[in-house]
Amino acid sequence: MLNKMLYNTVLSQTLSPCGKYLVAGNIYGDLAVFDLDRILNPVLELLSVEYNKPKHIHSIDSKKQICSLVSTEKFLIIGTVNEICGWDWKAVVSVKLSKPVWSIKIPSQTFLDYNDVNCMWLSQDSEKLYAGCGDNNVYVFNLEDGSLISTYKGHNNFIHSIHGKNQQIISAGEDGLVMLWDTRSGKSHNKLEPHTNNKVSRPDIGKWIGSAALGDDWIVCGGGPRLSLWHLRSLDAVTVFDIPDNGIHVSFFHDDCVFAGGTSKHFYQMSYSGEVRVELPVSATTIYSAVLRTKYSTLLSLAGSSPEIDLCTSLNYKDQVLHFR
Amino acid sequence: MGKEEVTAVKKRRKLNTSTSNDGTKPVPVDVYKRVVEFEEAEAHLRPADKDAAFFNKTCQDIRQLFKEIAELKTKETLEAKEKINAKRVEASLLLVALKKLNRLEKVRTRAGRDALHKEKQRVDSTHLLLQNLLYEADHLNKEVTKCLQFKSKDEEIDLVPLEEFYKNAPPDIIRSEVTKADEHQLQLARLEWELRQRRELSEACNELISSKERVAAAIAAARSRLDALAPHLKDVLKSTKPLQECLALRLDEKRDEARAASLLPASLFLLFKNANAYSDILGSKVISVGVCGDEDEARRHDQNNVENDIISSNESDSDQENNDEDQQTKKKRHHRTKNVSKEDKAEAKIKRVFKKHPLNVQVSVKAEDGTALNLILSYLINLKIIVVKFTVSLPKPVTGVSAADVLNGHSILNELYPGDTGDDSPHPATSYLLKNAGISESFSYFIPEIGRPYVWAQRMCGIDFMTSELNEQSVRRAVEPCPNLSVATVENFIMTLKKRLKCRVKLMHELQDLESGKISPPKGSLPPSMRLAGSLTQWQSVGWPEYSQAPSTAFLVTEGLVSANDLLYRAIITRQSAKLVALVALRSDYPKSVPIFSLTLHWNGTHHAGINDDIRDIERVVNTEIGLEERKHCTLSTQITKLLACLDILLETSDSPEFPPDKVILHPVRGRNRSKPYKFVNQGVGVFVHH
Repeated sequence: MLNKMLYNTVLSQTLSPCGKYLVAGNIYGDLAVFDLDRILNPVLELLSVEYNKPKHIHSIDSKKQICSLVSTEKFLIIGTVNEICGWDWKAVVSVKLSKPVWSIKIPSQTFLDYNDVNCMWLSQDSEKLYAGCGDNNVYVFNLEDGSLISTYKGHNNFIHSIHGKNQQIISAGEDGLVMLWDTRSGKSHNKLEPHTNNKVSRPDIGKWIGSAALGDDWIVCGGGPRLSLWHLRSLDAVTVFDIPDNGIHVSFFHDDCVFAGGTSKHFYQMSYSGEVRVELPVSATTIYSAVLRTKYSTLLSLAGSSPEIDLCTSLNYKDQVLHFR
Repeated sequence: MGKEEVTAVKKRRKLNTSTSNDGTKPVPVDVYKRVVEFEEAEAHLRPADKDAAFFNKTCQDIRQLFKEIAELKTKETLEAKEKINAKRVEASLLLVALKKLNRLEKVRTRAGRDALHKEKQRVDSTHLLLQNLLYEADHLNKEVTKCLQFKSKDEEIDLVPLEEFYKNAPPDIIRSEVTKADEHQLQLARLEWELRQRRELSEACNELISSKERVAAAIAAARSRLDALAPHLKDVLKSTKPLQECLALRLDEKRDEARAASLLPASLFLLFKNANAYSDILGSKVISVGVCGDEDEARRHDQNNVENDIISSNESDSDQENNDEDQQTKKKRHHRTKNVSKEDKAEAKIKRVFKKHPLNVQVSVKAEDGTALNLILSYLINLKIIVVKFTVSLPKPVTGVSAADVLNGHSILNELYPGDTGDDSPHPATSYLLKNAGISESFSYFIPEIGRPYVWAQRMCGIDFMTSELNEQSVRRAVEPCPNLSVATVENFIMTLKKRLKCRVKLMHELQDLESGKISPPKGSLPPSMRLAGSLTQWQSVGWPEYSQAPSTAFLVTEGLVSANDLLYRAIITRQSAKLVALVALRSDYPKSVPIFSLTLHWNGTHHAGINDDIRDIERVVNTEIGLEERKHCTLSTQITKLLACLDILLETSDSPEFPPDKVILHPVRGRNRSKPYKFVNQGVGVFVHH
């Protein structure tokens, strides 16, 4: 029987607050901790064939996939199935993982017995945790005591992505909706349906939206429909990006650019006008996670349905491949 | 008085003269003698000193007289003349006296000389005596030292030690009162004891020799009797033949076999012995063993064996030389010699290097349904390895093309043990020997002709190259067969091969079914109500080039999970417009290792795991999620059933009107990776859920 790690799929990644470690979670419930110092500044004498393998692989729960990861100063927050738990960073980077420091149970609100924490977003002040879940709801938790502050209901299918900026939260779901929420009132005040826009829609792939992100004046979103740039106030599709993909799962703004990836051979960086600036070749069939670090030094890590994780120290080319197996 | 003497002398003289005158007469001799005696006596009697004084005085007188005469002459008187005459007479007388004195002196001198001579002679003889004595003394001394250095023969004799002598010898020899004091006596006693003992022992020896001769004679007699028995026994054997045939006993054959087996090389004999033992235990229906080949040839080979062993080591070297020479002469006479002769030579050389022992062992292992695998194991004399050829006999012909392949060809024995492909010689010295023989091709080049040198074959014959490899020095040393290894390996091999054969027969049936498009899923995996809409429309074997060039297999090939040695097939599953091509790789040790599927879906474009996560997920399910329970049954069919179900799920969740939902699915998509519910739960009508 083949080793299932050959078919490994990484759904989420995050960087430790010290910037030294990259953590990736896969569908088998394993957590890989990569020592970036060792990988990016290898000591030639100590260089071995294993250098691009994880420093540790922790098995959290083999029955539950690791859907999302977020890191705060103190904790690594893991969103799995029916549960969000926080682990001390010190414990994560040590050889043996102990018990989580805290955990929040999220029972399913639908007839399904599982509730994936598909995505999490942390408010700028690190006080509130927004979790987009498989039961179509966005939950807001207080990280101080773990209490549920509010529940955003409105999606008709599971949530793919969540992001926020300037008191607004944007969520995207399998139902094809992109919803904007006001964090103060906890109400949805706007929503997009890209699949209804025939410039954007791609019925053969589906109406689902894999990713949506907020900029100061812009929204970028994509999934089954094409990756597109929408104006925040008028909610018009300003730019439809013409890239060869079979579904978008990652998109965000950085430095006047749109970064996006999905089922495609490349990861793209584009201007707002739709001009492709950089295309990075990727190992994975589909990119499910991209983390960008601007602190310390620039670092972009791309992971998805592959045991390999692509690491870029410059935004222009791929220079390292990590093995999560 | 002096005067008287002179006169006496005068008289004697007269006498003397007279005697001398008539010397012819016989008397005068005595006279002379007497005179001589007298003179001698006189000289002896007269003291020499007085004569000396007398001589001096006479001389004085004469001088006085001469002086007086001289004076008188001066006077020249008559008187004087007279006086001179007187004086002259007087002087003459004195001169006579002087003469007498002189004579006496002469006698005396002679007497003295004689005495001295006598004395001298005496001293000489004494001295000679002394010399003789000294010589004798010296000689005696030498003799003494010689005696002292003399070694008696008895010292060389290894005597009985002293304590033992005192303990064992009879008292009449010991005579302790004498021997304790006198060492010589002790030695004598010991010698005597030694002599006695030796005599006794010699007697005993003689006795034994005679008894040995008696026994030898008895043996010879018995042997001759036995020899005489052999023809009788042969007759008896001949006469039992009809009875054996009647009772269907294989006694004779077994005997023949045993005789042939004794001519086998040591390693093959080990195999024969052990395999035969197993065939006795398990019955000839499971395993049977036989010896084939030319017995006479083997016998000849056996006799030459020892010589050959010695020659063979040199032979290869000389081969090399010959080869060089060949090439040189070839260059010289290039235009004259034809290529053919050289090729012939090379062929002969190859034949010699790959020479097989004239006898080989045939092992035949049978599966329960009658499929048998006949192995022919031969021993390469010069390369010192075992090679295997084999045939498969089937109870009934196999219908499928790809199914037949499973039981034919090398794949049935490939990697019977992990890594043992039999592609190269396990003997580390082989390449060296080939090179030495001037053969440029590698060993694997000759495999189709001579058979495959599987490691298990070597081990079954008790040859273990692993241990010899450790000791590189002894690479050329003959590898001795180890019986324990053979025993252990033969059992293991028979069981492994039986299992393999059983699996292959099962696989063959499975493939036969698949080729006719029939999938027989193991019972209980799917409820009967479940209808799988896809159908297997094609199943055929493919070659390595086609397999390795397909885009869907790229990562399996680069990861080294599939190799050209594996059994490769292409399955095509269709459902309406959707066509799923599955390239299947079966390892040799199927079903121990699960077949590997790589999929390509042709529907709305071409999709494979490299570009489509849904296909990747299906591959994950099919390749990695086979439970232990499922693996007990036909793994391949289970996997194909699973694949059909997954295909249905994939198509039915795609919202295409072509494929209306038919299965019970709780939720079509889950999670950010939008995975499909490929996991089947056998509840009620059967539900598909997510993992």
